[in-house]
Amino acid sequence: MGGPCEVLAEVAEEPTARKIVEAVAACAWRIEDKFSRYRGDNIVARINASAGAPVEVDEETANLLDFAALMHRLSDGLFDITSGVLRRAWTFDGGNRIPSRADIDALLPLVGWSKLTWERPVLTLRPGMQIDFGGIGKEYAVDQAITLLGQLDSAAVLVNFGGDLAVTRARDGGRPWRVGIESIDAKAGVLHAARLVDLAAGALATSGGTYRFVESRGVRLPHILDPRDGRPVSDAPRSVTVAAPSCTNAGMLTTLAMLRGRDAEQFLQNEGVRHWVQRL
Amino acid sequence: MRRIFAMAAACIALQGCANLGVQPWEREVLARDDMQLDANALDTAFDDHIYFSKEGTSGGRGFGGGGCGCN
Amino acid sequence: MADKDLRIGAALAAATCSLLGTATPGASIAADAAAKWDIDSAFLYYGESDDRVRDLSLSAHATRDFGDERTLGLELSVDSLTGASPSGAMATGGPQTFTSPSGRDTYSTPAGEIPLDDTFLDTRFALDGSWSQPFARLYTVNAGLGFSSEYDYQHIGANLGLTRDFNLRNTTLSAALAYAQDTIKPVGGLPLPFAQMTDAVGEDQSPGSRGDSSDDKTVFDVLLGVSQVLGRNTVMRVNFSYSDSSGYLTDPYKILSVVDPVTGDLIGRTPAPGASGPTGVYRFESRPDSRSKQALYAELRHDFSGKVLQLGYRYSTDDWDVDSHTLESRLRLPFGGSSYFEPHVRYYQQTAASFYRYSLANGTLPEFASADARLADMSAFTVGLKYGHATAGGNEWNARLEFYRQTAKAPNEVLIGNQIGHTQMPDFDAVILQFGYHFKL
Repeated sequence: MGGPCEVLAEVAEEPTARKIVEAVAACAWRIEDKFSRYRGDNIVARINASAGAPVEVDEETANLLDFAALMHRLSDGLFDITSGVLRRAWTFDGGNRIPSRADIDALLPLVGWSKLTWERPVLTLRPGMQIDFGGIGKEYAVDQAITLLGQLDSAAVLVNFGGDLAVTRARDGGRPWRVGIESIDAKAGVLHAARLVDLAAGALATSGGTYRFVESRGVRLPHILDPRDGRPVSDAPRSVTVAAPSCTNAGMLTTLAMLRGRDAEQFLQNEGVRHWVQRL
Repeated sequence: MRRIFAMAAACIALQGCANLGVQPWEREVLARDDMQLDANALDTAFDDHIYFSKEGTSGGRGFGGGGCGCN
Repeated sequence: MADKDLRIGAALAAATCSLLGTATPGASIAADAAAKWDIDSAFLYYGESDDRVRDLSLSAHATRDFGDERTLGLELSVDSLTGASPSGAMATGGPQTFTSPSGRDTYSTPAGEIPLDDTFLDTRFALDGSWSQPFARLYTVNAGLGFSSEYDYQHIGANLGLTRDFNLRNTTLSAALAYAQDTIKPVGGLPLPFAQMTDAVGEDQSPGSRGDSSDDKTVFDVLLGVSQVLGRNTVMRVNFSYSDSSGYLTDPYKILSVVDPVTGDLIGRTPAPGASGPTGVYRFESRPDSRSKQALYAELRHDFSGKVLQLGYRYSTDDWDVDSHTLESRLRLPFGGSSYFEPHVRYYQQTAASFYRYSLANGTLPEFASADARLADMSAFTVGLKYGHATAGGNEWNARLEFYRQTAKAPNEVLIGNQIGHTQMPDFDAVILQFGYHFKL
């Protein structure tokens, strides 16, 4: 999940707390094992090793692919789960090695949702293409955990996977959960909650948590890449946090906001969602 | 003066019983607003001001807001 | 890049719904930036029986959270005080006339009534600021400044404190110091100790009874406290405080009736021809120029199934021999999900100051004397009820009604001759009515 996961449950007895935590952990591990690009034995690995051959996927994967397809269309191509291969050209280590136009151009034929064929339940990539659910997996896992908890127990629970979180309901007495959005300008050793948000229902997702970048001619280029030209998005905010009824919804909005660079705030305002944007 | 110290010692001895207290995760009641020692702060500020000007003794609870030409 | 104004929100929400399969968990969203300001404001009316003092007061306490447990506190209050209080002179069988503090007019009291000083109107303004922040792990430091002003009195003070947590923050020790400097500038100037009240004059007071126009008072306080968690539902604290005042501690408007040392009757007096003035011999009071107090205060809060009992006790003693006990209790009773009732009782009892007198025997003057009932043997009882209601937004409206009764006593030792069995102490009842609103911004 790319970060520490925690479960806060307002319960009176330890056995209930244990049951809740174990259910959420099991859900997180299941989704991680199934969709992580770092494993060699799951559906994602099979797809990425298919070398052009069609792959039949299960229902859950098909749902995610349908969602990715819709997102690609709604975002005019900004959101693209095939853009992961561009990582080979860029090394966001704070140094100043910039890939050449040729390096990027060599990878572009492998990037683009329109280049694959998705006819549920069969997915056919072009040879060399890769898909990556990193942009939606974590938020999806949070939402699945919340749904699971709805059937398991009536307690107020907050599920937080590395900064993407959601709650089953408000705390006892109608009180909201108090969530801190970390400040990116973490002074040496002292983490700072830049914003405090009272969340009584719904979810919060944050994009841009770890600030990786590369420097070119004095300008810091963040690690958000525009899949249409393979270059970093200019003027991307340092972090975007959005509140929405579900974590997947919130996460998608933060990703799309980041990809719009300097227009992030405008985009979120148009969407009419509660948002907090931090810039340099 | 001695009476004060004797009473203070008794109060503190009561509190000083070893291991008195709760674990951090047992504070749900103590965290409520109405369980704070300074809840009713506005009421007690008004009351302290009234009693300061109508009685011979004042203070004891804490500092803050003082001074008027009435005692 | 030109942004399309097309909103994707609805399509995205629908897509999420179908991805997650079920009805979207948490179909509603309620997220708001946490409030930074916490403001408690109230309007209070205080009224005493027999047309004595009436006070209207407006007060606001605001707390601003700067994150990382750094807090700013601001307290503002405005009081408008009107009415008369007992001047210290005793009631007699006949009417009495006194000179007003300004020295320009006189006022009278009917026979058999306790003399109240001239009706006054005064507005008081007070502002206090405080700052609190962590100092190191487990330590918090706090500092405050206060200022208040009314037409004859000014106060400025500062305080500094430190707290330290122990035992998984179950125990907190605190220590604080305060220093205040007050200036008294009474109407008509400061009377000399035991000066006799003289006839009213059109212009300035005759120098015989009035000294300087203003004087100072300094107060130094030390507070040591322990607060302790006793259990999941109980917390208590104990404070020990020491207070030292020095400077002008006398009440410049209070007097004593001078009486015959055998009969205890007021010694009469005739104003000078053509002038109006006191019809008896009255002398201004005089208190020591220092007062040293120690107090012990203990408070407990206990929750039992949502109801909160608060119990407090204070014992105070000082070198004026004013020893007092205060016992106070509140019980918060939640009601109907978002309201509460909170009954309140308070009992107070004090012993008289060593220099308290009902009247002054004509002859050798004592070192200090005051007939101010606030320094007499006295007890007081308060009973009240508060009602509060929480709004949907998490704010609270509340109202409080309290009744106060004060009863003072003059023991036979301080009475002279005919006074025994005929004393009239300025006991009174008062009503307190308060309306408040507590909100967050």
